[in-house]
Amino acid sequence: MDDELHQLENELKRLRPRAPSPELQAHLAAKLAPRRRAVWAWVALPAAAALALAFAPWFRSTQFAAPAVTLAQQAPVPAVATEEFQPVAAENLLYASQDDGVITLNNGAKARRVRNSYVDTITWLNPRTNASLRWSVPRDEVRVVPVYFQ
Amino acid sequence: MEAIANDESWKNWFQLYGPKLLLCARHWTRSLADAEDVVQEAFVRYWRHQRALGGDPQALLLTSVRRAAFDLARRDQRRVGREKLANGGLAETETIFEPLAEVDDRRVAIEAALRRLSAEQREVLLLKIWGELTFEEIARQLDIPLNTAASRYRYALASLRKELTHADCHG
Repeated sequence: MDDELHQLENELKRLRPRAPSPELQAHLAAKLAPRRRAVWAWVALPAAAALALAFAPWFRSTQFAAPAVTLAQQAPVPAVATEEFQPVAAENLLYASQDDGVITLNNGAKARRVRNSYVDTITWLNPRTNASLRWSVPRDEVRVVPVYFQ
Repeated sequence: MEAIANDESWKNWFQLYGPKLLLCARHWTRSLADAEDVVQEAFVRYWRHQRALGGDPQALLLTSVRRAAFDLARRDQRRVGREKLANGGLAETETIFEPLAEVDDRRVAIEAALRRLSAEQREVLLLKIWGELTFEEIARQLDIPLNTAASRYRYALASLRKELTHADCHG
C-alpha cells in the first residue's frame, strides 16, 4: 500500500463509531442485572448443614470400602497443551423456529410462544500447529412474549 | 458488592466494544433498530456464556453479532437462502460516526463515500478498521480466502480515496 492509502487508513481509524442509544444500554442493564437468589436457598442451605452435622458421627464410624488405588495405578494424564488452543469462533446457528401462537399463562395473561432451536458451536485453534477443535451442542430456546390487546 | 462490580464491568466493556459492534451490525441488518437488537442479543449471549472462554473478545463478539444478524434475517424471513445478509444499505440520513469537532465536513464526506462502496468491500473495511480483526480473522469470519480479504480491503481503500479526491475537487 502506498503512503496515501496508509494516511487514509489512519484517518479512518481516528473516526469513532457512533455510540449505541441509551435505550439499548437500558435494555442491557435490565437483561444483565444480577439475578436475585431464590428464597429456598436461605432455607435449604442451613437445613443441609444441619443434616450434615447430625449424620457426621455416623459417617465417621462407617468404614467405606474405597477402592485401593495407588498413584502408580492411576492412568497418566495425557500431556495435552490445551493452553495453546485459543477460542476463535463461537457461533449459534438457528436451524428451526416454531411459532406456537398465542397461549394463556397461569395468571391468565396472554402471551406469544416461539420455540427456537440452535446449534451452538465453539471452535478453538492452536495457532502454532493449526490444529482445530470444534464443540457443538444443540440448544432449545422458548421465548414467551407478553401480548397486549387494545 | 460482586454484583455491583459485575454491573460496572459490563458497562465498561460495552462502552469499549458497543460502538464498534453496532457499526458492524448495522452493515448486516436493515435498520439501526435491528442492529441494536442484534448487538443486544449478541452481547448478552457473550457476557453470560462466552466470556469465560478467553481469547480475543472482539473477534468472538463480532462472530456472535454476525450470527445474531443471520438469525434475525431468518426469523423475519427478510432474506431467502443461507448466508445472505442485508448488505448494509446505510440510510443517507443516518450518522455513522461521532461528529468531529473541527473538520466535520470531512467526516460527512467519508460517510458518503463509505455508503457508495460495494457491500463486500465495506464489510471487510469495517471489520479491519473498526472491528480491529486481522485478515486471517476476517477470512475465517466471512469464509473467504485470506488473499480475497486483503485485496477487498485494498480496493476499498483505493475506492474511498478516489471518491474523496473527487469530492474535494468538486466541493
